Amino acid sequence: MVIQDTLFVLWLMVAGPLWATVGLFLLPGVNSGRKEKDQIPAATLKIAGLIGGFALGPLGVGLLYFEPALIRRTTLTLGVIVTVFATSQVLARVVDPNLPTALWLLLAGPLWAVLAAYFIPRHYRELEADDHNVLTAAALGGFAIGPLIFGLMWKTTPKVNRDWMIVLGSLGAWQIYALFAIQNVDNPCVAAPYNLTYLTQQTANGVVIGCIYSLMAVGLTLIYSVQGIVSFAHGQLYMVGGYFSFYFLLHAGNILSDLTGAEVSVNPIWGIPVAAFIVFVMGALFERVFLKPMHEGLIERVSEYAILITFGFGFFLEYTTLAIAGPFPQKTDRFIEIRRFTLNRTQITDDFSFGPIHIIGDRAFAMVVGIVLIFALLYFLQRSWTGRALRATSQDRQAAAVTGINPTNMNTLSFAMGSMLAAMSGAALIPIFNWVPWVGAEMVGRSYVIVVLGGLGSVPGALAGGIIVGIVEALGAGCHPDPSRGAAYKEAFALVIFALVLLLKPTGLFGREQH
Amino acid sequence: MKRISRIISILAILALAVMLPLGAVQADGHCEFADYTITLGGLAPMSAPGAVAGGVAMDWAFKQAAADINADCGISIDGVNYMVEVITGDSEGSPERGQAVAERLILEDEVDGMVGVYHSAVGLATMGVMEENAIPTIFSEPWNDNVSANGIIEFEGAAPRFADGIDHIFRISPASSMVGSVVTDWLISLGAEDVILIVENTDYGQPAAADEQARLEAAGVTVSQIDIELGTEDFVPILSRIQARAEPPDAIRIVVTGETSFNLTQQMAELGIAPTPETICVTNQIAFQHVQYWQTVPDGNYCAFNRVGIIPSLFNDTAIELNAKYEAEFGDIVPSFGMASYDAVFMMRDAMERAGSYSDPTSIVAAIEASDITLSQGRYYFTYGAHNESMPSDDGLPDFMWHQWPDPIVTVMQYFEQGQSSLDAAVVYPEVYQTHGTGYVVPGTSP
Repeated sequence: MVIQDTLFVLWLMVAGPLWATVGLFLLPGVNSGRKEKDQIPAATLKIAGLIGGFALGPLGVGLLYFEPALIRRTTLTLGVIVTVFATSQVLARVVDPNLPTALWLLLAGPLWAVLAAYFIPRHYRELEADDHNVLTAAALGGFAIGPLIFGLMWKTTPKVNRDWMIVLGSLGAWQIYALFAIQNVDNPCVAAPYNLTYLTQQTANGVVIGCIYSLMAVGLTLIYSVQGIVSFAHGQLYMVGGYFSFYFLLHAGNILSDLTGAEVSVNPIWGIPVAAFIVFVMGALFERVFLKPMHEGLIERVSEYAILITFGFGFFLEYTTLAIAGPFPQKTDRFIEIRRFTLNRTQITDDFSFGPIHIIGDRAFAMVVGIVLIFALLYFLQRSWTGRALRATSQDRQAAAVTGINPTNMNTLSFAMGSMLAAMSGAALIPIFNWVPWVGAEMVGRSYVIVVLGGLGSVPGALAGGIIVGIVEALGAGCHPDPSRGAAYKEAFALVIFALVLLLKPTGLFGREQH
Repeated sequence: MKRISRIISILAILALAVMLPLGAVQADGHCEFADYTITLGGLAPMSAPGAVAGGVAMDWAFKQAAADINADCGISIDGVNYMVEVITGDSEGSPERGQAVAERLILEDEVDGMVGVYHSAVGLATMGVMEENAIPTIFSEPWNDNVSANGIIEFEGAAPRFADGIDHIFRISPASSMVGSVVTDWLISLGAEDVILIVENTDYGQPAAADEQARLEAAGVTVSQIDIELGTEDFVPILSRIQARAEPPDAIRIVVTGETSFNLTQQMAELGIAPTPETICVTNQIAFQHVQYWQTVPDGNYCAFNRVGIIPSLFNDTAIELNAKYEAEFGDIVPSFGMASYDAVFMMRDAMERAGSYSDPTSIVAAIEASDITLSQGRYYFTYGAHNESMPSDDGLPDFMWHQWPDPIVTVMQYFEQGQSSLDAAVVYPEVYQTHGTGYVVPGTSP
């Protein structure tokens, strides 16, 4: 009963009869403007629209509308999927809940993903077809639709674009959710009445924390894109940013209290620019003294040197802070006095309600700070001369130098700005988490995952990577069948996605391919 | 230039040569000390991932105890006064690191005894090292039941420590079961029927939670357990799971140590999960450090916590004096592991004096077994050891009572005012220690 409720509501929202009707009426429009010899029979279009909308909702209708060349194969594929899914539902109820999983493992899933990822790209190369994104599409296709992906890609070797990935990825994710729902009827991510409210709550949790993760990761990616090195002091720069903010707020509060004679506390928002300024200067100095020789050819083993020197800098910062600030946790006041924002429960039908959804006030504020800063950085990189110079240096140092850009200054600027972003991230989070001198360790590990996931050197990639990691962690911890394991493995969930992306798209989601 | 620096160097050496005997004369001010200094090894987590705040408090307590003992003419053995020094080794909260540090203290620094240890995992891992090297040891904080029980039972295939006739390990902190029983009895007395345990994934957390779960379930309480890793900062996805339940739980018990428990408690309060009139919040004993607690858990009013160690209203003169020194140093109330670490050094002194030796482990162990001394946490003694023919099981007691101080006070306390000092917090359980005449202060009310 619970499964039926869940899947039914989900299906009604994202696919089902409504979208089947839309497909039925929309698809015949494909023929308009086509020459008569290119026209597709109206009946075919109607059936395709019906099945596409029924199975995949707007995704199916959109795909068929804009890629009519795929109509026959896609319709066939979707028809098979709907049949398989419906059969598995029946089998799960009538025979055994494990049967749909077994069926899926036989007809699709990891086995077919591996086979497709191995054979299809080779076939493309043999035919000298454009194999861009083919590996990813083949793996996702094998996973989602099993042997049908061979039918779709083998004979005509179609050019693969991002839409393929979106459709096949969504299909695979939806199948996993369906199988998960069958196997875990009491899970809050599945069971009515929690399902949609709970999923939305966890997704919101993930997006909020993900934006905050992104801010730190952006700094790391900026340094990498210009200098080609990974800063192993990034976590500690994040940590000192929080401490600079803390001590600034403490002393500013004391001074103002002395002046006014009343207890005054300064809003932590003011700590962000202070921490940014101090750490910017600190980063610039470090770069000039310790990293500049590396770019001047004075260091023999540049990569090892960069790792060791930034590692050493990180240790220095951590233990100096421990000596000065001590090991006891610190925290600043709140950004805003609202403890949490709550979207109240809304009764949608007699049997179905949505909400409440809670977001902690300070987290929401920090998320806004993170997004504003990331977009400000993007604007700076895209629109200002210095930002363009940074990008030019990241693309080709020698060519940039020829046009009058000083790469040495760009190196310093990138490291200082990257460090500053880490510090701003720290200053934005000290009202939220307890601050101790080793607080950066967990965060920086996650940042490496984010930047590689998003694509090393890509700022939008870091934003996307942060949000993906946030959502995956939240859903992983929140939906794991065993709550105990879910909490303990929280960080491992993001690593699984990380490993998959590295396997399928080694440059990351938004990374540049090196030629 | 070279000549000037040479002159400065010679002057510096001369100054040192003059000052060194002066120092010795100062030390000899009112006591005559022997040349030999008795050294004790102190194991404490001084860096992450260990509970560094705890380690710093323990290190301070070791040093303070050594200073107080030396000011009182050190350890007197057969009429000769020996200075005492505690060398702190950083366990980092890790069993492997703890073992390596214990070996270094024993084999390189040649310590005469060991004190301290915060994390149970470190205690369990280092016991064998101390036993093999016959080092009298007084643990002041690890709670895992087996830390003391292993003296007489086989554990993970290893023979009991007492198998060869002598066990060098003692404990003056409570066993997990002693703490757990107080909290669970309190929850049962309040009529809790549905309890969630949030537990750290360590050698302390898992057995402690298992024990509490068994006690609660035996009383008919429904228990769910969520494990977390120490050092986790963001608990919101996990807490949202609790929030999504159809009915809120009656109580959430946090079996998590250190600053991780602060993050968890604050996020729980921010989300409005607990403390609420429907759900009791029971957090970790570190909440007793009220300055840290209110700074990091500003929404944690009405949260209860288990307090290990003597309650402030029962502080004796030694405790009051120690607390004043700690407060002057850290601006907070001395934690139980600080008091226990301080007392452990004094107990070692007392035992060595009665044994008439600092180097004969057998006689020192015998003296510790026969301890009867009142220090900051109260009167210390050991009921079960080689000096008592009965084993704990003979008296119907659990095995962890072996070489275990039987009287650590465990209470449940509760804040009921924002920013309240832990000295003013209500002791709500056991009834005999209640300070505000109530077994629970419902959120939003005053006792």
